[in-house]
Amino acid sequence: MTRTGIEYLRAKDQDSAVALVAEDPDAAFLAGGTTELDLALKDRVVHPSRFVDIGRLPLRGVTRDGDRLRVAALTTMEELAADPTVRARLPLVREALLLGASTQLRNMATIGGNLLQRTRCRYFRDPDVAACNKREPGSGCAAIEGVARMHAILGAGPSCIALHASDLCVPLVALDAVVELLDADGPRRVPLTDFYLTPGDRPDVETVLRHGELLTHVEIPLLPAGTRSAYIKVRDRTSYEFGLTTAGAAVQVDDGTITMARVGLGGVGTVPWRSWEAERVLVGSPANERTFAAAAQAAIRDPFTVPGTEFKVELAKRTIVRILRTVTS
Amino acid sequence: MTTTLTKQSLLGRPIDRIDGRRKVAGAAPYPSDFDLPGQAHAALVSSTIANGRITRIDRSAAEAAPGVLLVLTRDNAPAVADPPMSNLGSTMRWYFRDDRILHYGQHIGIVVAGTRAQAQAAARLVEVEYAAEEPVLDLDDPRATIEENPYGLDSSRGDAAAALDAADVTVDSTYTIGAEINSPMGLFTTVASWQGGRLVVHDTTQFPSMVRASLAAMFGVPERDVRVLIPFLGGGFGAGLRLWSHTVLTTMAARELDRPVKLVLTRPQMFSSTGHRAASRQRMRLGATQDGRLVAIDHDAVAANGIGDMLPAPIEMGTPMAYACDNVATHERRAHLNIAFTGFMRAPGSVELHFALESALDELAGKLGIDPVELRLRNYAEVHPESGKPWSSKALRECLTVGADRFGWSGRDPSPRSTRDGDLLVGQGMAEASFDFYAQPCTVRLSVDRGGNALVRTGATDIGTGTYTITAQLTADLLGIEVDQVRVELGDTDLPPAPQSGGSGLAGALGAAVKDAAAALGERLARLDGRPGETIASLLDRHGLDELSATGHSDLPAAAATTDLAVAGPFAATFAEVGVDEELGVVRVRRLVSVIDGGRLYNEKTARSQIIGGTVMGIGAALLEEAAYDPHTGRVANGTFGDYLMAVNADVPDLDITFVGGPDAFNPVGTKGLGEIGIVAVAPAIANAVHHATGRRIRDLPITLDKLL
Repeated sequence: MTRTGIEYLRAKDQDSAVALVAEDPDAAFLAGGTTELDLALKDRVVHPSRFVDIGRLPLRGVTRDGDRLRVAALTTMEELAADPTVRARLPLVREALLLGASTQLRNMATIGGNLLQRTRCRYFRDPDVAACNKREPGSGCAAIEGVARMHAILGAGPSCIALHASDLCVPLVALDAVVELLDADGPRRVPLTDFYLTPGDRPDVETVLRHGELLTHVEIPLLPAGTRSAYIKVRDRTSYEFGLTTAGAAVQVDDGTITMARVGLGGVGTVPWRSWEAERVLVGSPANERTFAAAAQAAIRDPFTVPGTEFKVELAKRTIVRILRTVTS
Repeated sequence: MTTTLTKQSLLGRPIDRIDGRRKVAGAAPYPSDFDLPGQAHAALVSSTIANGRITRIDRSAAEAAPGVLLVLTRDNAPAVADPPMSNLGSTMRWYFRDDRILHYGQHIGIVVAGTRAQAQAAARLVEVEYAAEEPVLDLDDPRATIEENPYGLDSSRGDAAAALDAADVTVDSTYTIGAEINSPMGLFTTVASWQGGRLVVHDTTQFPSMVRASLAAMFGVPERDVRVLIPFLGGGFGAGLRLWSHTVLTTMAARELDRPVKLVLTRPQMFSSTGHRAASRQRMRLGATQDGRLVAIDHDAVAANGIGDMLPAPIEMGTPMAYACDNVATHERRAHLNIAFTGFMRAPGSVELHFALESALDELAGKLGIDPVELRLRNYAEVHPESGKPWSSKALRECLTVGADRFGWSGRDPSPRSTRDGDLLVGQGMAEASFDFYAQPCTVRLSVDRGGNALVRTGATDIGTGTYTITAQLTADLLGIEVDQVRVELGDTDLPPAPQSGGSGLAGALGAAVKDAAAALGERLARLDGRPGETIASLLDRHGLDELSATGHSDLPAAAATTDLAVAGPFAATFAEVGVDEELGVVRVRRLVSVIDGGRLYNEKTARSQIIGGTVMGIGAALLEEAAYDPHTGRVANGTFGDYLMAVNADVPDLDITFVGGPDAFNPVGTKGLGEIGIVAVAPAIANAVHHATGRRIRDLPITLDKLL
């Protein structure tokens, strides 16, 4: 399908933005641009009839409400990383932000755009590849038989192994962040861990977002005082690359025993991966190598691998051990 | 910096590029910056299979699309003649000569429209049906056509097999390198325009004279009626040394439409349209005495090549001259695969050879318990090992000793896994490199005028390496004027003929031609009875002359055939320190020292930049770069800058680069080419450092973390 043109509209306010997208089944919000413009204009794998630009809506800034941080969707990655509360209370969020993209991109890229980024899978992004269940449900998955390295091993299956490549989302799912959504029926709140959908037999449906629904804010609970947290990103090159495996963790240790643990994983999941399995192993256990190894083992259970991603099983475990060692040392 | 310079000489001084300001101000026109009145825009149609035949192409939907002026496929394209062989021994296989598909991304049509967007949209409407077959993509695939000794360079001196049998110690290792793609930043562009009977082409090329000869032959016009322009080029790295089909298609479309046509390749198209370093596998067998004398080198190599292609990028060429060893045998094969046509990616063959040879030397050093630097010094080729002639210059010994000194090599504990820094294993490795001499004839026209200014004109290209600057610097030096009094015109085939920017051969040939022109001009000036201390300007003025010109020529290949010297290329030694996070497999380069014998330098700054660029590319080759092919379709699965990883700043430590050696005795200016030598020893030095750090010998590039887990 090729369109000869795409209608461009600039929304006056949130309600009209929602209405302008809702009224046209092929319309899309346009906020930052990396994903949507690339996919529509360069890669030509999505075919919107209309862009509704929300870039000038007053959805920018970070506010603190008690022990929660409310981040408007158009806040940039650099702005959030520089926020004093993030620096003081959410170091793993700051680290994840600053290990993502490049400075230039982080000055433009928005938090909402980061949460809603599409996969970087080259099979999804190349329209000359016929088999992509995410683009054309039922067409198959060329990546499974192709070159897979930047692909998922958790939440993946025969229908799709496309990775959710966000760094930021890894600590956000670990921290029980909540997204605020708006459509004609009004606002609703969805925990980020419920927001993303693993591919199953519908890889084209990636979130619970309804057509015309706008992500307006993300709310991040602050870590209790005395919590240690960090984020680690393992990748082939030192900068400006998505992670092969990443991990964010926050723990509290009391007298050598882990009393609270949050673990998120990146580079491995079709969705930003919250590892409750690892957390269950950690809480109540001594903060030692044996516990960390058991947590890693629990986290990477039943991976779905292809030849190019087999190494990630071991690498992800070692990444988990490393982050746990880091936040407990 | 130990090159000797005469006190007044401009040569060698690290002056800024004379075109630097224009470049950073956006005033230097690259091919994609050219737009001609009435120009139409083109987009390519590319195959989505790698092997088979086209059974049907339907142009109708594309032809009916908005703005479309022309759709050319082999069904309606005019016939063209085959292009001639270039001096590099390569020619182009014209895709439209039959219905075969040889590789994924093969150009099967061109669509021309009023705007680029219209052309690209319409290109997607061309319907193509194929009879597809499984592509042959692997060097070991039994279906691959194998050519033995394709370059006639298989060589034998002494009896390597017997010497291996008799050797005290042997190494027998196999090394593989994945395909690498030199997708330069500047997207390859052709702007073609038929002006009367004359063809004018702005084309991204390192070899404008070859493009001119090829297009003239293909389109049946005299060479003088083809003008190829490339004043500035946004990176080549060898990608611009062949004629590629997009240039022919754009030229053809311009002729069919009788209006200028512009084509800019997309980034993914760059990964299958402008060449690459082929995947290779080498078996290297070394034999040595207990005290570290090499008695045998047996080198067996196989590299990929396109189907029906014949690109000469021999791996074995440098093997016999690398070390003083009485028994050397080389064998090479070429495997024809359904891959895009390969090219001359920076130091083709030499990068591959030195990864294998210098890794094997490191393995041998370990077995013998001899320091790797010492092992190389013990087998130093004081004279050319094949001819026995003295080298025209060779400061490789200084490269090794100065490098070891600057690096602090003597403090190294030779045992693997002996050094730690926190969580990291630290390793130090080194490698050396000998690069072949290469040159082609070159002509320049040199003029001086009454203002005391000089003009140098030649059809050479500056591919970003500083050709404008070093030409001005040399000319100013020879004429005794200032650099800013010299104007240099390049990148135009209407100028005197010059060879390609390639093979590290241009600077030496061009400099020799400039020197010849300056000598000829000097003779003419001498006949004007100059007074002591009189300037050229005053001399011309006194004689009422507006300007004086002379043509200079160099033919270094002819001179090399008759000299008593073994004509040397540049030499290098590279020392690398890596840190390896063993738990995660991550390798990072911590320090890198390269010492280069490039003969006499034109400009220490542009020379250093060349070596920096080569080194950065070498770090990419060692740790990051590999084109991945889809096993079933042959598509380059990582054909974007986001997916194909090159080194970024954060991967590159501070580089310590030093030049040693004096003027080369063969080249009239004393110089040797620096465009490629910087990359050659980097990957083996890093691989050897990884072994020293971890005890793990990785014989497969790139060394990605999964190989160390």
